[in-house]
Amino acid sequence: MSTKGTRIPDWLTVPFAGITPAPSQEKGQDLFPTGNWRSIRPVYRDKLPPCNNACGTNEKIQGYLDLVKRGKYLDAYALIKEDMPFPSVTGRVCYHPCEQACNRGQYDEAISIRAVERFLGDLGQALAHDVVKAGKPNGKKVAVVGSGPAGHSAAYQLARLGYKVTILEKSPKAGGLNRGGIPDWVLPADVLDREIERLVELGITIKTNVEVGKDVSWDDLKNNYDACVLAVGLTEPNSVRAEGENKDGVLYGLPFLRDIGMGTSKVKLGARVVVIGGGNTAIDCAREALRQGAAEVTMITVEANPKEMPAVPEDLHDMLEEGVELFHGRAVTAVLGNGKVEALQLHPARFSGAINASPITVDREAPAERFACDNVIIAVGQHPSLAWLPQEFKNERGTIKIDRFGRLGGTNFFAAGDIVQLGSGQPLMVVNAVGDGKRVAFNLDKVLRGEPLQPRTIPIDVIVDLNRMNMTYFPHFPRVQQTLLPPTSRRKTQDEVILSLSEEQAVEEASRCFSCGTCNACDNCYLVCPEPCIARPARSNGLYKILVDYCKGCRVCIEECPTGCLEGVPELDFDTGVVRMDTAFAISPGLHGRQAVELKNLGDRPAKNI
Amino acid sequence: MSYTELTVWTRGIIMDKEGRDIVNSISASARIEGKYAQAMENYVDNPDRTNAPTRKYCRVSDSILENELTYENEHPNIVVLVEGTMVKGWDYMRGMPAGGTLVINTHYTPDYMIRFVPGAERLAQLVCVDAAHLADHKWLYYRLGELGLDRLSTEGAAERNKSIAPDIAAPLIAAVVKSTGIVKMETIEPMISNKRAFHAALEALHIMPLNPVAV
Repeated sequence: MSTKGTRIPDWLTVPFAGITPAPSQEKGQDLFPTGNWRSIRPVYRDKLPPCNNACGTNEKIQGYLDLVKRGKYLDAYALIKEDMPFPSVTGRVCYHPCEQACNRGQYDEAISIRAVERFLGDLGQALAHDVVKAGKPNGKKVAVVGSGPAGHSAAYQLARLGYKVTILEKSPKAGGLNRGGIPDWVLPADVLDREIERLVELGITIKTNVEVGKDVSWDDLKNNYDACVLAVGLTEPNSVRAEGENKDGVLYGLPFLRDIGMGTSKVKLGARVVVIGGGNTAIDCAREALRQGAAEVTMITVEANPKEMPAVPEDLHDMLEEGVELFHGRAVTAVLGNGKVEALQLHPARFSGAINASPITVDREAPAERFACDNVIIAVGQHPSLAWLPQEFKNERGTIKIDRFGRLGGTNFFAAGDIVQLGSGQPLMVVNAVGDGKRVAFNLDKVLRGEPLQPRTIPIDVIVDLNRMNMTYFPHFPRVQQTLLPPTSRRKTQDEVILSLSEEQAVEEASRCFSCGTCNACDNCYLVCPEPCIARPARSNGLYKILVDYCKGCRVCIEECPTGCLEGVPELDFDTGVVRMDTAFAISPGLHGRQAVELKNLGDRPAKNI
Repeated sequence: MSYTELTVWTRGIIMDKEGRDIVNSISASARIEGKYAQAMENYVDNPDRTNAPTRKYCRVSDSILENELTYENEHPNIVVLVEGTMVKGWDYMRGMPAGGTLVINTHYTPDYMIRFVPGAERLAQLVCVDAAHLADHKWLYYRLGELGLDRLSTEGAAERNKSIAPDIAAPLIAAVVKSTGIVKMETIEPMISNKRAFHAALEALHIMPLNPVAV
């Protein structure tokens, strides 16, 4: 109804039914602050995505996938480098716990997070200068013993914090398990070399051929450095305690891979090779054995079937494609042969407990089997070599005794990586060692600065329930598959088996991310709000704002938020957002009271004035 | 000569009947007791909008009501908020003389709610009753988050209109009558259909005494 030409009495000039102007964002919202219609307030609250929670070093996976999706590769690389010193390495070797946790796995297929990480890592390798710079020098010296994943990570974070870091490595080349435990066809040596160069560019000194306990003593470390990180790893292979295990032709998994990785291998394998063990190292050994010239490789495991093997299913699949045979439910009881291994004596066996680390029960009553072979590679785990460590810092598992901050007693020594994680229930993998190194570096920094140590905060709100997101916004999309070299051509060469994603593929894969529980500035709330109640100066996480004076609490934005980062919180939980109104329409106090006065006085007025 | 004004603040559509039941039953009881009483709605508020603020009025007097044509309570002695969040929204205390009563449907205690009340010094008592819980109201109590989505509230309204206070109104009426004595308990009790919630509320309500007025 138009008010044109109508004389409005002054007590009616405020908005009133019938003569109210149309609400607009400029003026109408001031006239109709409908915020008090609301009993539920929408609140932007980012939750932890499950990938981030599952990652050993808590990479901000949702964050960098979002940046890749927008084409901001360098920003994505910088974000990944906050937690991970070598995305090009983990992009190749990681057993991706993030992908197992990915919510998309319940919907169609998990995001190929590792492939995108590798794309970013390779981008970083191509840069002339790394995006990460060393921190302002604080004059303190820290020694890091071991240059494997944990040591690398700790040294990297400490250099960023401004410490003068020296890495002590006993091998002729730095890299630790990354070099000695991972074959070239998974992680090419030049990729790792480039990452080691990056450490040197940060001002880190790497001393190779220095072994703690032999060239450097515990007291040297204590006296020459302000603090020390022990990331020595597990160096000694476990034996299977079979008769005649010392015969020629019996090899151990990690030394076998290490010698090949360091280029010092003198091993010549025979035609028939047996690998003992069912884990990831055993798989790497079996595949490496093919590349070292073996014609037939058989893997003998105590596990009764492939599903029970503590190995990554993809790697197991690739190994079987390359032609490795599996032989389950057997344990080696003796190595037969005259000076050199000629055959193995096998007995049926099983694990006595539910987990693969439990003791093995061997059925010695059953008839022994003979398995002919030319070489045996035993890959049944490793244990540490800690003769140099003072006895007080050893625990009953034979590893280093630490408190929950990775610290050895009250000393300035810290320990990280496999050396502390063995037997702790955590799977031993590169990314867990990297995360351990990172956390220990930050704890060390706090100790040297005299700040109190705080335990890791446990994420309380990990979004793992798809019902908390609006799945109608996510069409089904297949996962982008990384190309593999064909099994027949790859099984005899050291060429990398898995090929990297192209730029288009990486963007396509990153676009599949749900962004679980985290605002990715999709603008959906801004568009669906029936009133213009959501303001944002720019499309970015953190810049969206609910105009609480006007929001009626209709919940449309909450229901329609694809990622589930918008939550409805009872209005009474907030002290703020109070909009005092007389009625839904009148905003000036006493409007209807004044009307009542007019009505009361009607009788006193002369008739012609009414 | 006693004259009491009661104003009920409620939300459009979803709690419209609850508010109406309170004023209707109290004024009907007052008439049974031989008083002059009046109950009406404020249609200026345009109550036919979900969640919109809506007022219902009731006047009880020992003498004839002189202001029966005034369609607003200017000096409410008793204010009832049928939905707890409304405590933040309006100047429901406007015009209240000293010694008033505020009744709120909420699961919070009066200690928590008093921070939101403007001009609380005029109150003789603040009464909180968890009516949604006592009446086992599935929308208000279990699914408060979906309150705004309820667009079907008039469905079954004809059946519900046959009874007085089948729902959250019953505990609120109990709270008003017990804390103020505006009508006698024995007059109003037979009208209430949800007797279980009515009696439960008599035990469960929280009364916070504030500034009593010397008579």
